[in-house]
Amino acid sequence: MKPSRFSALGLRQRLLLAILLPMTAVFAISVVFDYRLAKATADAAFDQSLADAVLDISSHIQAGSDELSLELSSEAEAMLRTDSSDKIYFAVRDGNGHLLAGDSALPFPAVRPLDQPQFHDLQFRGGWTRAAVHQVDSASGTITIAVAETLTKRNRASRRILVAMILPSLALIVATLLAVYFGVRRGLAPLDAVEREIASRSPRDLHEFDANAVSRELRPILARLNGLFGMLREASAAQQRFLADAAHQLRTPLAGLQTQLDLASAEGRFADDEDRLARIQEATDRIGHLIDQLLLYARAEPATVATQAFEPVHLDRLAENSATIFLDRALGKGIDLGYEIAPATAWGIPWMLREALANLIDNAICYTPAGGTITVRSLAKGEQARLEVEDDGPGIPLDERQRVFERFYRIPGSPGEGCGLGLSIVREIAEIHGASLEVDSPETGGLCISLCFATKAATP
Amino acid sequence: MRILVVEDDSLVASGLKQGLTQAGYTVDLAGSAEEAGQCLQGENFDLAIVDIGLPKADGLSFIRGLRSRGNTLPVLVLSARGSMEDTVSGLDVGADDYLAKPFRLPELIARIRALIRRSHAVADACLRHDGLMLDTRSRTATLRGQSVELTNREWAILEILLLASPSVVSKERLAQSLAGWDKDITPNAVEVHVSRLRGKLAAGQIEIRTVRGIGYRIDAARR
Repeated sequence: MKPSRFSALGLRQRLLLAILLPMTAVFAISVVFDYRLAKATADAAFDQSLADAVLDISSHIQAGSDELSLELSSEAEAMLRTDSSDKIYFAVRDGNGHLLAGDSALPFPAVRPLDQPQFHDLQFRGGWTRAAVHQVDSASGTITIAVAETLTKRNRASRRILVAMILPSLALIVATLLAVYFGVRRGLAPLDAVEREIASRSPRDLHEFDANAVSRELRPILARLNGLFGMLREASAAQQRFLADAAHQLRTPLAGLQTQLDLASAEGRFADDEDRLARIQEATDRIGHLIDQLLLYARAEPATVATQAFEPVHLDRLAENSATIFLDRALGKGIDLGYEIAPATAWGIPWMLREALANLIDNAICYTPAGGTITVRSLAKGEQARLEVEDDGPGIPLDERQRVFERFYRIPGSPGEGCGLGLSIVREIAEIHGASLEVDSPETGGLCISLCFATKAATP
Repeated sequence: MRILVVEDDSLVASGLKQGLTQAGYTVDLAGSAEEAGQCLQGENFDLAIVDIGLPKADGLSFIRGLRSRGNTLPVLVLSARGSMEDTVSGLDVGADDYLAKPFRLPELIARIRALIRRSHAVADACLRHDGLMLDTRSRTATLRGQSVELTNREWAILEILLLASPSVVSKERLAQSLAGWDKDITPNAVEVHVSRLRGKLAAGQIEIRTVRGIGYRIDAARR
């Protein structure tokens, strides 16, 4: 779909626009027509009274034998000119254009001889007037009578008509607008509810929506969404199955190899070449370690983790349990592995946090020389739950601190049998948990890596 | 001592049989859960080593079936999956210990020894570890045949450490187990008892190792 400016608007705005625009146009057109009709009717009535005035004047014309005279008493003229709001002008002229009576300046439009008075808009004395003009034939020639009045009462009538027409229309438009606005809001409430439910989901929550609980129009969308969730769940499950199979296929022959190696060694087959045995053993260990790390890395991929649930994890217990697992390796290297454990709880996937801690301790044992000290800590500090592994080994130079978390990166010239995946796995796990990774140098030298979990934001 | 190995991979199975036989155990091999079920009928074993990734019925459901029938045979699980998540599910269905592939034979044998020691401690009420023997019925301890006098608290600490070996036991857990005698015993008081115990066991090979910040551990038995 190509987004247009219209489609960028919300559904609510689009509905309101689609309803209100044509409705306002229809109202506007109907107001114009009604106004014109009502104004024409009012004007006709006013015109008629002008025509009456013309006829009234013509009744005062008396035709003599050879000249015309207009017998208009001052009372009659006063009557004619009297109006509550408008000024009335009139003029009577003979066939040659001589003024017989009235206002000499009143312009005379050309009129055709007709039985009925004709109406004109005339400009007179700086304003518009409406005039009725009539030609009367008499024995002594044609007489033209014109009566004009200013537009005050016509304009007042127009304004009244306009107000009377527009006010109800405006009220109707506002009422419709409100009705449509609240109607659309109510109508779209289910959409809002679905939106809120989607927004409140965690990224790992792939369970289906109840498509029957929403209105009919939303069902196809939710059905498609559910289909997508299903595909994601299947992909995640397939990925986990593949990893379990791969782990089995890779580790079982390696276990066979290791057993045969131990047997050969126990039988004294390498008695005259202990060095060769040590090299084969080292290679076997490295393959085993690499398989572990690769599988763990793949298991920690967001797509694989997608279906796993978060739960409260006691970091203190996690730390305590790691003692049994790593004590022998530390003792074997002459390292003092110790603990400082305080209660701390993080929100996460238990096996991942165990593996993250295991990788940190493993890394420390790997790079701390014999006679060194490693301390594992769990603590709650402010709104943070922390897991820390501190050693007094060579540490990490400042400019390498970001790179050590990259996949397969090893500090050039570093000893040991690391494969360069351990810390990148820790970083991956930290990201999944929204935890931050801090790398520090303790005052005593060495390295301290901390996993910091936000305890407030972590609770759902 | 007779051990049943349930493993479908012939390379691993033959290696295990050879290694365990050399360590002095009698070994029977089963390639599937079905075959293992048949072996267990009418025969007595001291321990079973079970691979999780078996064809058809997997190792976990085999162990679940075993426990649901009330069989208390010690079971050590071998898994190629190797994550701690599997450790937890393996131990949840009733396995006694867990080892990830690839494993080292000496470590496997040490675990087998510990498992059999624990199950026999229940059966004959005796705990044995590198020349030390605790007879839990008569409450007598002997080190290399010499009687050792232990107080109730020392006895309780030693018994817990031996049963847990080679796992680390926290001072808190030891303090809780002493609460029967001392209502308000502190982790620091545990240190006093442990140091006295160390003195009494000095003549033998047994070392109670301090794990800084957590507690104590007795290393795996060497014999």
